[in-house]
Amino acid sequence: MIFSLGIIVILVASFFSLYRVVKGPSFFDRVLAVNLIGTKVVVLLVLVDFLYNRPEFIDISIAYALINFIGTIAILKLKEKGRLD
Amino acid sequence: MKGHIVLKMATRMMVPFILMFSLYVLAHGEISPGGGFQGGVIFASGFILYGMVFGVEEIYRKIKRKILIFMTAFGVMIYSGVGYITMFNGGLFLEYAKLPGLNMKSGNSMGLLFIEIGVFITVSSVMLLLFIEVSKKYDN
Repeated sequence: MIFSLGIIVILVASFFSLYRVVKGPSFFDRVLAVNLIGTKVVVLLVLVDFLYNRPEFIDISIAYALINFIGTIAILKLKEKGRLD
Repeated sequence: MKGHIVLKMATRMMVPFILMFSLYVLAHGEISPGGGFQGGVIFASGFILYGMVFGVEEIYRKIKRKILIFMTAFGVMIYSGVGYITMFNGGLFLEYAKLPGLNMKSGNSMGLLFIEIGVFITVSSVMLLLFIEVSKKYDN
């Protein structure tokens, strides 16, 4: 029960972040909002893990957090310098 | 990148754990999501993060380019080598039970692990080479 409620709250909050992605005035607002959605997805995966009792989802959430971090750094570096190295 | 002290320290702390997690994904590929390809991509992403923050030349100081190109073929050699070893022992191609010194049960586990190590080596080096080439040629 509490896990289902948590999933619903996380989904609603991520739709608020999606509004900021679409509407955001500057580039950095959009990057920050996408990063925020990624962080919410990590929590969502852990909640799905506890809801369905499948411990493999912890690994997927760790990998997702990693990809989120690296992707954000790559996009910001590409914006700042124009190249990736 | 000059400055950026927080980013550099965070990268220095995160990269060993990323590499360790990739080995965990590789070793637990049979009983949990993951395997050779996913572990290789995570292993390469650790080096890609290092290269993005400290510069691509720092990757070349860790791994020479010739070794990197050699590793792309070495993984394929491990993969097909396991297959040919089973053929020489009288089985089919990649019939793990015919590996030398192993029976049906342990041969399946060990054969699958060898195959995934080969995929891991190839995928991680190819991903790293792709990142190096793309980042070098991006400027107009």
